[in-house]
Amino acid sequence: MLRDITVSPAPHISEPISTRRVMIDVIIALIPAMVAAGYFFRLYAAILIGTCVLCSMTTEWLCNLIRKKPNSLDDFSAIVSGIILALSLPPALPVWAAVIGSCFAISVGKMVFGGLGANIFNPAMVGRAFLTVSFGMLMTGWTVPATIDRAMSKVAPENVVDARTQATPLAWSKMAIKDKNGAQIYSRRQFRATVTGEVGGCLGETSVIALLAGGLYLIVRRTISFHIPLAVLLSAFVFAAIAYLANRDAYVQPFFHLSSGGLLIGAFFIATDPVTAPLTTKGRWIFGVGIGTMTMLIRIAGEYPEGVMYAVLLMNGVRPLIDRFCKRVPAGGKPSA
Amino acid sequence: MEVDIAGKLSFRGGVYPPEKKSLTRDSEIQAGPAVEQVAVMLSQHTGAVCRPLVRSGNLVQAGQKIGDSDAFVSAPVHSPITGKVKEIALRSHPVLGRSLAVIIDAYQYSPTRQPRFELPADFDENHYLPERICESIRQAGIVGMGGAGFPTRVKIEPNPQMPKEIMIVNGCECEPYITCDYRLMLERTGQIIAGIKLARRASGCSRVFVGIEDNKPEAIEAISAALSRSPNSDSIRVVPVKTKYPQGGERQLVKAILNRNVPTGGIPPMIGVVVLNVATAAAIAEAVLADLPLTHRVVTVTGEAIAKPGNYNVAIGASVGQLIEFCGGVTKKSAKVILGGPMMGIAIADLETPITKTTNAITVLTKEQIGTAKFARRQTPCIRCGRCLAACPENLSPTKIAHAVKNNLLDVAESYYINACTECGCCSYVCPAKIELTGYIKTGKIFLARQKKMVPQ
Repeated sequence: MLRDITVSPAPHISEPISTRRVMIDVIIALIPAMVAAGYFFRLYAAILIGTCVLCSMTTEWLCNLIRKKPNSLDDFSAIVSGIILALSLPPALPVWAAVIGSCFAISVGKMVFGGLGANIFNPAMVGRAFLTVSFGMLMTGWTVPATIDRAMSKVAPENVVDARTQATPLAWSKMAIKDKNGAQIYSRRQFRATVTGEVGGCLGETSVIALLAGGLYLIVRRTISFHIPLAVLLSAFVFAAIAYLANRDAYVQPFFHLSSGGLLIGAFFIATDPVTAPLTTKGRWIFGVGIGTMTMLIRIAGEYPEGVMYAVLLMNGVRPLIDRFCKRVPAGGKPSA
Repeated sequence: MEVDIAGKLSFRGGVYPPEKKSLTRDSEIQAGPAVEQVAVMLSQHTGAVCRPLVRSGNLVQAGQKIGDSDAFVSAPVHSPITGKVKEIALRSHPVLGRSLAVIIDAYQYSPTRQPRFELPADFDENHYLPERICESIRQAGIVGMGGAGFPTRVKIEPNPQMPKEIMIVNGCECEPYITCDYRLMLERTGQIIAGIKLARRASGCSRVFVGIEDNKPEAIEAISAALSRSPNSDSIRVVPVKTKYPQGGERQLVKAILNRNVPTGGIPPMIGVVVLNVATAAAIAEAVLADLPLTHRVVTVTGEAIAKPGNYNVAIGASVGQLIEFCGGVTKKSAKVILGGPMMGIAIADLETPITKTTNAITVLTKEQIGTAKFARRQTPCIRCGRCLAACPENLSPTKIAHAVKNNLLDVAESYYINACTECGCCSYVCPAKIELTGYIKTGKIFLARQKKMVPQ
């Protein structure tokens, strides 16, 4: 007869899915971008990604140890944060800076709030913002891809200064606003370079193809919903198009804005971090439009050439308000009583 | 009548659990165990608890009324066997914890079977007055056999405040494993249609839709074919609906078929709709045409841990343990006995728990299976992925409600409409962090109800 009967609330079965599986999906989706980074920036990519992942994991482990909490490395979220931080760093960033960045990202960006699920801001972006304000020079050294500069792969991370650097496409567009020569900036060749990734920029943000492949994988796997990426890209495009139509001399074509800088990695991988994004569909639209608009505002009217990081952090900050504003109404309407 | 089998109609949200119906879908309805003792619960329905009409030592006949109530929302209970009342005692109740039951020992150990019901060939529902139909339904103690157990008379009786126009007959059976309604639709097609017609006449509905999930094409065909042969069935339409859990929830079915929402906290009659389960329709035919009270029902005994799964016509009051024994017992690995299906069913600890009018299945799961269930695995923090919101058929925010309950913020839980939850379990099913969302929400509802009771009105 029956012994040891278990009792628990329904449902008694569940979908074979776990937080770890969600994180693994994100890691899989980031593989194309990591491969592209490795192809264009060679050793730098491997060193930076390795450093950031390792430091993120160590920091999380240490924080849990200090807080006397169970080890949480098995959810793989530290790995995801580490990879995303690495991919949003300039290729030739010294290793020590990457170490500082990842430790800050995980400790202050995530663990002080209570770990996974409790943080307000995207940990990777917290780390990157910290590095940007602390080491501004290092964070704007844009190494030329190895496919252009044959000597780059020989340059060791210790003597970065020797590496050839180049202004990023967004920096050109920024100069164009001052010089009023936007039309000349944007050429078919330039566009092709941003699509493949053969331009200066952060490790993982240069290749449009790689990012789109990863992003589509996440949407197909339903790991992310399409609302946020679509809202970010659409609003950025509309903003850029209005600017372009208003003044073709000063502002570059909207497609240029979509394909360059961190907009794609931001739209697919950073803004979609579920912990720091709104829950409801309506909220996700608002959040996405906020990021897209804010990014373009910074790019076009602000002092910085790039604005994805600040846009994401700002919208992260208003996320609780968005959630409060966008409460779902039951299918049967609000109860009458 | 031509029916397009593929059901496109559905609702928003929902999940697709493995169906597992193949265990019992080809098993014809067989006679259940010959019982020596039954425990007939005095509360098997929504509404007032019955008061016993017999005392210990009384002799009772099969089909004799043994409990009733004067309350409007209630339904009498009957003895399924001929025998002697042993006592009126507490028994484990799946929902109420412990509740009073009439314990009856079978007389002379001559088990009474449910009398065979044959649908008369000249059946015409117009020979029965609506009032007479309602009274027969009431006297037979018929309640909604799909789950909630709402007294059927109350549901279908015309009510001037809520005039009824449309009747929806629920043959979805969206819970995994369960096939009792499916077998009824195949084997007692004529009886179900007779019940539908009687209920239509009693309720005054002008149109009837029979909603069946499109994973049961045989049932869709059987009912459609029987309807095309049957007189007065022009207003009855079979509607295949999409196979998705919880398609058989009445709110979801109304949405799928009529594209209308039942008001939150309300019931279908508020929008002029009556929803009846197919098993209830079959019981109505027996009650009205043969004066047979509801003393037996078809129960699917299933699950990977059951030796001989199948569909059985069981005396209401038989214990779960008896039924499991009858089905060849269980394999050693069994670990969880569920009254109902794995999505909404209630796990019981006491095998003496009797079968009630709303017990549609007994599902016994194995250790490996429950090893993958939420409670067995470590719960991780909510990452706000929003899967529970996407899966919620009632468009709620389960994670918000559950975390409010967890932190004892019942007012916050209420502001997220906790009471609109139908406890279908979709949110828990999809949660990657293994959080028992449905469990928290159920707990919160109980706390809220208690809190409201304490505040003097």
